[in-house]
Amino acid sequence: MKYEMVAGFETHVELSTKTKIFCGCTTQFGGDPNTHCCPICIGLPGTLPKLNRQVVRYAVMAGLATNCTIPEIAKMDRKNYCYPDLPKAYQISQFDMPLCVGGYIPLSNGRKIRLTRIHIEEDAGKLIHRHGDTLVDYNRGGVPLIEIVSEPDIRSIEEAREYVEKLQLIMRYIGVSDCKMQEGSMRCDVNISVREVGSDKLGTRTEIKNMNSINFIAKAMEYEFERQVDILENGGKVIQETLRYDDVTNTTSSMRGKEDANDYRYFRDPDLVTISVSREEVEELRNLLPELPVQKAERYVSELGLSETDAALLTKYRKIAEFYEEASKGTKNPKTAANFIIGQIFRRLDTESDKEAFDIKVSAEDLRELIKLIDDGKIKMNLAKSTLEKMLDTGKKATEFISESDMGGLDEATMISLCEQAVESNPNAVNDYKNGKEKAIKSLVGFVMKNSRGKADAVAAEAKIKELIAKA
Amino acid sequence: MSSRGNIKKLADMLESKKISCTELTQSYIDEIEKSNGELNAYVKKTPEIALDTAKKVDEKISKGEKLSSLEGIPMTLKDNISTDGIETTCCSKILKGYVPIYDATVWDILKKQNAVLLGKTNMDEFAMGSSCETSCFGGAKNPHNINHVAGGSSGGAASAVGGNIAVYGLGSDTGGSIRQPASFCGVVGLKPTYGAVSRYGLIAYASSLDQIGPITTSVEDAAIVFDAISAYDKMDSTSRGRQGAATVDTLNNSIKGMKIGIAKEYIEGVRDDVREAVMNAAKVYESLGAEIVYFDLPVLKYALPVYYILACAEASSNLGRYDGIRYGFKAEHYDDVNDMVKKTRSEGFGDEVKRRILLGTYVLSSGYYDAYYKKAQNLRGTIVNAFKEAFTKCNVILAPTVPMTAFENGNAISDPVETYLTDICTVPVNICGLPAVSVPCGFNAKGMPIGMQLIGDSFSEATILNVAHQYETAVPEAFRASDFGVKL
Amino acid sequence: MVDREEILKIATLSKLFVSEEELPKLTTDMEQMIAFADTINNAEDASTDFDNINNLCNVLREDEVVPSLDRDKILGNAKDIDDGHFLVKKRA
Repeated sequence: MKYEMVAGFETHVELSTKTKIFCGCTTQFGGDPNTHCCPICIGLPGTLPKLNRQVVRYAVMAGLATNCTIPEIAKMDRKNYCYPDLPKAYQISQFDMPLCVGGYIPLSNGRKIRLTRIHIEEDAGKLIHRHGDTLVDYNRGGVPLIEIVSEPDIRSIEEAREYVEKLQLIMRYIGVSDCKMQEGSMRCDVNISVREVGSDKLGTRTEIKNMNSINFIAKAMEYEFERQVDILENGGKVIQETLRYDDVTNTTSSMRGKEDANDYRYFRDPDLVTISVSREEVEELRNLLPELPVQKAERYVSELGLSETDAALLTKYRKIAEFYEEASKGTKNPKTAANFIIGQIFRRLDTESDKEAFDIKVSAEDLRELIKLIDDGKIKMNLAKSTLEKMLDTGKKATEFISESDMGGLDEATMISLCEQAVESNPNAVNDYKNGKEKAIKSLVGFVMKNSRGKADAVAAEAKIKELIAKA
Repeated sequence: MSSRGNIKKLADMLESKKISCTELTQSYIDEIEKSNGELNAYVKKTPEIALDTAKKVDEKISKGEKLSSLEGIPMTLKDNISTDGIETTCCSKILKGYVPIYDATVWDILKKQNAVLLGKTNMDEFAMGSSCETSCFGGAKNPHNINHVAGGSSGGAASAVGGNIAVYGLGSDTGGSIRQPASFCGVVGLKPTYGAVSRYGLIAYASSLDQIGPITTSVEDAAIVFDAISAYDKMDSTSRGRQGAATVDTLNNSIKGMKIGIAKEYIEGVRDDVREAVMNAAKVYESLGAEIVYFDLPVLKYALPVYYILACAEASSNLGRYDGIRYGFKAEHYDDVNDMVKKTRSEGFGDEVKRRILLGTYVLSSGYYDAYYKKAQNLRGTIVNAFKEAFTKCNVILAPTVPMTAFENGNAISDPVETYLTDICTVPVNICGLPAVSVPCGFNAKGMPIGMQLIGDSFSEATILNVAHQYETAVPEAFRASDFGVKL
Repeated sequence: MVDREEILKIATLSKLFVSEEELPKLTTDMEQMIAFADTINNAEDASTDFDNINNLCNVLREDEVVPSLDRDKILGNAKDIDDGHFLVKKRA
């Protein structure tokens, strides 16, 4: 029997506000334990929460960027459960009236992953277990989160990967979160079940909690999919439970041990009042949204004629897309700038975080100047490429490396003379070519290019060389 | 006018240098030493702080500086109002030793005015009770007869003010906790409109019902204190502040032509002596030119169960944080974190608090939420609308504060539901967030005070205090002082 | 009506221990309290929405940093602390 995966995501994203959701403490990552705390965020008796306006605005922006509807009225609720990292023994969250409902994330295969809702809530503190003792740090307690809940629409690991990457991309683009999974500012819970291909019934699901790496998510889902299929194929039943993924053993295991069955006893938080986002504010926030990566990529393909692959690479990080748009502005062929970035600049950015930071010495304007030299026929591509390397090394402008004499074409006589020299001084290559080694011609062209400091027209040079060899 | 030392009189004495603030304060400290053993009104005395403040006030007076309305006046705070550096326990074992690191907004306001803090007053544990006897320090006693309870939960404040060992006290009222002890102790207790006074720093019992208010010996004092503390507070999302001018300015307005409503549901089922006293007050109002109008408020019969469901539900959540980790009591022996939390709570909370936490957890738990919590919340809306409708027929509602007078010590009824019935007249006001003031309206045959309450529409403190003050002026003997305390 | 199992379940959710000695009295008390609470179900089905008492909306603060408190103060009321953290020992 063939099985398919059915998965839904609950994704927690820390918002990039300056202060916590209900008090003025900083949200900065790190810091000595319990130094980003006040009476409110450690839940001292008598303290009251006051909602951060920016949290509401960011959450609405996240909703608009993921095609959600913003209801007229939202409210805050208490989710009651007792755990040492939760200083009030309840988490202020949103239960039945969240800020955003009913959006979707489009995937490259044409499917849409529907979003049930996006709501705001407070993060918990951090527990450290040391020799059986429990140490509690509340610095993270009260940091604002949005929880993005998807429908169980994901059918494969690839879709899961793309879904998480797209979410990450969108949230970074619109500036509401840095989504650094390794720092925990983006974390995923995955609900996963399996069913026979063709069935439209949902199987019993398990929930894998709190994963903070896309690779772990993929591995955990793969393991869990196979585990469930195994159970079913052996006539067993999947038990609905909460699981933890262990990245060392690459297995999932049950999280039982919180002795009590959960019953969160949600009710409206009487310390907070109704939230109403006016239609004007929704429009204002919509106007603040930048063009999103998907839209950008589509435009790069349809208007600029880039390949889908290149468009995707260029739009993955907002800084790169902005650099590209600036560098290609007013140039003859939008592909030229794309090739420089993907071919040369990316080689200097090893990791994803390097790409995200996009810390390079060349400005978009300087790259554009270089491309204009090509456009105007003043320099050839080869010279441009080597010049860009020098620019990337030094941060200096193209004109620092290209002399007046480099610019302007090569006259016919010099070109012929260089071709003749190439044939005369490289008898081995000439012989190879004559013996059928087509590639040998390249080294002869290379000779001409080198000795003309890149000014020769490679195509014309190759033709001339072939002609000279044939004559000989 | 009241025969007792009130705020204006004391302020005049200070300013005219008839008495220094230090002398005034010392006389209260001395009387506390003399009487608190019997009254058990204070659970924490702060004489050094009081004298320090008094010294500052005396310096201002000697420099001829003008004093604000409450400057130099000796007062108290209920032990659920957070005071930076001063132990605040809610009279619960679970908070013993807890010293807040911030001030409640009301105390912040009063401290800046150089209010002279004599100490923190006794209360039912976490404000849950009607006799003050669930306090881990034992109950406060009634200054009119110490064999009787002071009432609750702000029993200590009522006992201290009724016993003249404080000029005024701040209490909190979730289901009658200011008005009921004020009624029992023969003093004035104002429960302001929800949102008029900041709750920031008030240790929560039931957040949507709690309000801080004054307990005083006269209506004028209640107005002065209310005017001082009813400021908008950005720390409290539900804060509105006072809407309108100072209430003290309109106390002497004529009430001629005013409509005073009586709902029969408030009068039925109260003890004869109480009903009689309230109806006599109605006659006084008629003689002052007011018109008495009668109507029915049938939804009132649901107010008490609605109150208990909502209050306990919120309490079960508000009291979840007492886990021994960050402050307060922590169990000495335990096997793991969960065991520590459960032992701390089981050993730290008293029986009544536990009962209410359990009931609150029950009504919120899955399977019961709709039948209890949600239904109660809907009925809350219905009761709110019924009162709105009532205020189209009258300006204020007159009702008994408690169906009886103060009961004897240790006689607090053991059946929890029967105990709850003593709150039947006070809880509707909290459900609707309305202002109400309890004022003395006579004494029963045993000499125990009887109280009546005047209930107003939202933010109409000025009106109810005006109506209350007119009664006080007409019937000063109802405000007779106990034999305890400072006499000036 | 509530039975002992239910009381124990509610107690667990409330993080309270209930001893065998306490259980009979507590069950009686809870039964009475719940029966009393149940009287609201005699009321006609009320669908009056209740939001918050003064119908307030959008009470928000600006995203401006307020200095945090000294850690000594934050930890000052804790019975056990270690290395700048609140501490719960493995057992005591």
